[in-house]
Amino acid sequence: MIMFYLLCFHYALCIMHCYLRRGVGIKEGQERIVEAYVGEYASGKSEVALNRALNLVRRGRQLVTLVDFDLVEPFYTLRPLQKELEKRGLRVLAWETEKTMGLGEAGTLLKPEIRWALQRAGDVVIDVGYGVAGAGKLALLANVKECLELRVYAVINIARPLTADVVGVVDYVQSLGTVHGVINNSHWGDDTNIRIIQEGAQIVTKAAEVLGLPVIGTTLEQRFAEQIKGNKLMGKPLFFLERQMNRYLW
Amino acid sequence: MAIVPNMPRSWRVETKPHKFCPGCGHGLVLKALGEAIDELDIQDRVVFGCDIGCSLLAWDFFNVDIVQTHHGRTTPVMTGIKRARPDRICIAYMGDGGGYAIGSQHLVNAATRNEKITAILVNNCNYGMTGGQMAPTTLPEMKTETTPYGRDVEETGYPTQGPEMVAAIAREGAYTARGTVANVRQLKNYLKKALQNQLEEKGFSFVEALSGCPTNWSTNAKATWAFLEENMTKYFKVGEVKVPVKEEE
Amino acid sequence: MVEKAITGEKRAFMTGNEAVAWAALAAEAEIMYGYPITPQNEIMHYWTRLAPKYGRKFLQTEDEISAGFTTCGGVLAGKRAFTATAGPGNILMQEAMSMAEMLRIPTVVVVQQRGGPSTATVIYSQQETTLTCFGGNGEGLRIVYSTSSHQELFDYTIKAFQIAWKYRFPTFVLGDGYQAKMRESLYLYNPEEKGIPLAEPYPFLGQEGRPGVEREPSHLRNTYNTEEELYQIISRYVEDYERMTPEVVEYQASDFEDAEIVLIAHGIVSRAARAAVKALRSEGLKVGYFRPITLRPFPVGKLREIAPKAKKLVVAESAQGQLFKLVQEALYGETVPLEPYFKPGLGITSEELVEFIMF
Repeated sequence: MIMFYLLCFHYALCIMHCYLRRGVGIKEGQERIVEAYVGEYASGKSEVALNRALNLVRRGRQLVTLVDFDLVEPFYTLRPLQKELEKRGLRVLAWETEKTMGLGEAGTLLKPEIRWALQRAGDVVIDVGYGVAGAGKLALLANVKECLELRVYAVINIARPLTADVVGVVDYVQSLGTVHGVINNSHWGDDTNIRIIQEGAQIVTKAAEVLGLPVIGTTLEQRFAEQIKGNKLMGKPLFFLERQMNRYLW
Repeated sequence: MAIVPNMPRSWRVETKPHKFCPGCGHGLVLKALGEAIDELDIQDRVVFGCDIGCSLLAWDFFNVDIVQTHHGRTTPVMTGIKRARPDRICIAYMGDGGGYAIGSQHLVNAATRNEKITAILVNNCNYGMTGGQMAPTTLPEMKTETTPYGRDVEETGYPTQGPEMVAAIAREGAYTARGTVANVRQLKNYLKKALQNQLEEKGFSFVEALSGCPTNWSTNAKATWAFLEENMTKYFKVGEVKVPVKEEE
Repeated sequence: MVEKAITGEKRAFMTGNEAVAWAALAAEAEIMYGYPITPQNEIMHYWTRLAPKYGRKFLQTEDEISAGFTTCGGVLAGKRAFTATAGPGNILMQEAMSMAEMLRIPTVVVVQQRGGPSTATVIYSQQETTLTCFGGNGEGLRIVYSTSSHQELFDYTIKAFQIAWKYRFPTFVLGDGYQAKMRESLYLYNPEEKGIPLAEPYPFLGQEGRPGVEREPSHLRNTYNTEEELYQIISRYVEDYERMTPEVVEYQASDFEDAEIVLIAHGIVSRAARAAVKALRSEGLKVGYFRPITLRPFPVGKLREIAPKAKKLVVAESAQGQLFKLVQEALYGETVPLEPYFKPGLGITSEELVEFIMF
């Protein structure tokens, strides 16, 4: 009897699955954006990912989904922001703290709908948690190999001791698996100054050369905009961040 | 003139006569261990840890460095020392309660990790120091203070087969054996091989020693010996259980 | 000799757990023993990433009982050894720490408090104050530093090794889940370059020379035969502890000279308290600030100096009166009223403290 229910459940899932896949249908002329942000612990990848997602919404792209794929620290990432982000037009796939229990202990619990995140219609921005598996964690997502649009970006903060110099950045990015580009997100939180941002751009640029990867650009707070001439650093674009994560104690 | 007994060189004369009860097996186990230490000439390198229970009475027994720890916790203390100072020969000395009950997780995990230490466990079928309660090794039907009608295996399970358990979980390179104070020469041989195993950094080594507790068994010398040699060995088979495979020449 | 992990001074951005791992490296800790528990895991994650690069060691044990006792073993062997834990793990570790108290083993334990009792939350609280200060079946002969920032986690972890080995009392760095996980910048430095002494470890066991022949054997025990024998030992320990107290005790105090109300908090809550005092002062209210940095030994002298001048003391903590009890004990005999602001397991902001004091 139990087996019967299980089978029914599985069947229902399959139907849902097919439906979702059909739903992917991208409109002609609009290329779907699927990006995953990986980085060292506290590199700022969550901040970068969520700003990117908000930016896509602002640009008028329909259906932008932000996926909290942090399996190591499910209590300390996007969750407190979820409702607010949804109000701003984002779709957020994350556990809600009140609906979970003991997740810090069993922290590798994957929310089922996240597994099928790549099948969602529209753009998908994935915040990948830190951990030894690096970008390898993405293998947990269904159809990741078939998802040709997927771009994986490494977020680098040179204030992180393990990625403080060119050798460190190269070693680190090489440990991540497939990566399509690197982003300079060098900062000291509230204590950030222009020097660390500029030094970060230099180190990330040199490391990217060694790695044979493009530098996507530098992410920084708006308050530094005036200190940079020409809206570029090391020839690469600037992306301004509206800090969200610092509003929470962690 | 007093007779000077023949003591192992590594024994500390100043602390003799020792504090164990008359007829207790601990003295014999520690004699076998003292001789093994002497023969391997490792007195300078041994760090000896003893548990709570009667084994703690060994805290000043040898002219080696000794720490007396908590009930069941000698294995992790010795593990900690060995990890920090791999050049020391670490011996964890405990009773059946310490090794198979309150500290069983430490024994199991030290064996699983193949810690390069030597654990020696004295099995006398009861908790001696606290007054003769049931131990994990109490034989079926055996009366103790907490099994006044005899150990009911339906209620309390069967006695722990320690060396067999350790042999089942330890990796290649581990040494496990069960000796008895009824055959001190053989016991010394096992202890020596166990220590040799640590010296050669092959793996975990574990020796259980069957021992008598006349005080709590309320037995005279003859009955103690009979219980040890007949009742206990029926259940606890004496011999080597796991020996590292000799490396091919 | 271990390899230097940090040379010069470097500003870095990281979580509190990482700051602890870097501090242990900077303090030249040689081995960590540990067992996973949230929210301290990244101390182990970063130690295991960094340790092999600098010739340090790690052992993941079977539980916190073992982590505590292996740490005792590492220290007995003469190494700067440490462990880290939280909540239910802290409970299990108390057994080993009571042995450390009795044998005067200078263990270093970093505690990142989580909610309690029981499993509770993995997130945050200040409910391990009593346990960390007085855990075990003894007199709480330990040193407990309560930190409030990443810089302090770094500074006091380094200090913990040095103080533990100098005075031979088990030493704790008491953080919490927020400090463990939040991110802020701090300066990493090599303590020796700043003239901060490192712990000077020595073996308690396994020294050179044939025991009983070339030297006395080290025979350490925690079991005593008679009440008198134990009484003598503990009295000597208490005397040592009291002699040490003025050299070790630390606190922060400000704005208390003319203060009508003094706000008392420890750990991360003291950040909110300090900000609240600043805000209240700008409103013209005479509010002072007191923060014990060492919870054991407690800065009794300074508090007794400040308290009688005030009309009221407010004790704010993310627990139901654990700091309050320490304050009460320190002020026994004083008549100044104590007002509690208790939020067990919940963070406290400066805004709510301002509101509490103003209205």
